[in-house]
Amino acid sequence: MFQKSTPPPMDTEYKAPTSSENDDVETVVGPSVHVEGDFASEGNILVKGSVSGNVKTSKLLTVEKGAQILANVRAGSAHISGNIKGNVKVEDRIELTSSAQILGDITCSTLVVEPGALVQGKVMMSGVSIVGGEESGPSRTSRSRRSVKQEDQEEQD
Amino acid sequence: MYLYLYDNFLRSRKYDSLLSTIETRLTDFGIAGKIIRLQHLTNAESVINEEIRRGATTIVIVGDDKTFGSVLSKAAVCDVPFGFLPVGAGNSIAAVLGIPVGVEACDVLSRRRKVKLDVGWFNNRYFVSRLHIPPSDITVEYDEQFKVSSTKGKIELVVCNLQPYTWKSRKSQDIIVHPQDGKLEAFLRPVVGKGVIKEKYDEPSIFPFEEMVVTSRKPFLVEADGKESKETKITIKLAKKRIEMIVGRQRKF
Repeated sequence: MFQKSTPPPMDTEYKAPTSSENDDVETVVGPSVHVEGDFASEGNILVKGSVSGNVKTSKLLTVEKGAQILANVRAGSAHISGNIKGNVKVEDRIELTSSAQILGDITCSTLVVEPGALVQGKVMMSGVSIVGGEESGPSRTSRSRRSVKQEDQEEQD
Repeated sequence: MYLYLYDNFLRSRKYDSLLSTIETRLTDFGIAGKIIRLQHLTNAESVINEEIRRGATTIVIVGDDKTFGSVLSKAAVCDVPFGFLPVGAGNSIAAVLGIPVGVEACDVLSRRRKVKLDVGWFNNRYFVSRLHIPPSDITVEYDEQFKVSSTKGKIELVVCNLQPYTWKSRKSQDIIVHPQDGKLEAFLRPVVGKGVIKEKYDEPSIFPFEEMVVTSRKPFLVEADGKESKETKITIKLAKKRIEMIVGRQRKF
């Protein structure tokens, strides 16, 4: 609804969600509420409490400061200020504020990181056109690792 | 043939003038019909079924939100179109249905713009406006997928269907639940402490759902369309397009 079809340029300033975006929130996990289990919604999700289970939405996921998600996350776009322990897969744009902490891999199209945000994991972004980039990268790496191992074995033999 | 179900509170003299104006307008439109005054113990379902057998083709509820809820919670099983003439204070559902309060509602009724409405269902009974569980030690399971509990103890639960629910926030904008989007909306508010007059609540959680199971070890109070009961387990579902209703052009869905 409010997602942009074209990703904004990388030098765009960090922008907090506007009030109109907040008005569209359809699912809210309150601050003293704990959700256990796989949690999917067709609309926007706002997490202020804790969720132990996969979170899935095709629209905006907002994780507020102090909130935490302990599982994998899939969303159309995301605005993270809380903690996530799990892989995060976002179709469009993910914004990490200074209080955000992610322990897991991030897959997205556009990444906006505010100074102070903590990420421990791989970041994968589609659209890399450099030869030997993302598409062919992992398989080549694994092949090269195998070949190194094979060479080591041959040397030992 | 139209059947008009008048609420008991309309016996008050202050409504005499308004009711006679409404009846005149209905006669002008050629949709006047039989009037039955509902008593406290009247079983709306049996009255409506009896009148359908006698030839009633449209049932019109005359009163406020309480009248609307109490009649339709029983009569949702009746296969007949319903109309609503809101009279008096306490009419929030009428605005959702796009029906003006007072004489102007007759115009909406005469146009017969019909829409099928979703209603809530719990433990073999329908509710059209709102279901409320006062703060209790409850666990809520949504659509057999995830469980919601409070980290601080008791939770208050409000499930909205037709009656809009506004949570007033001191910090940010008010959140208004818009009914009739193919799902029921559940508001969960954990109790975080006791104030001088009433309990203090934390910010609410909102979950749209189609099926919800509320359980507790102790019996908890359930209030649906003004009727109270004590339960230990309730299953709340959405009965899609259950009631055929005459609505206005300005309806909010």
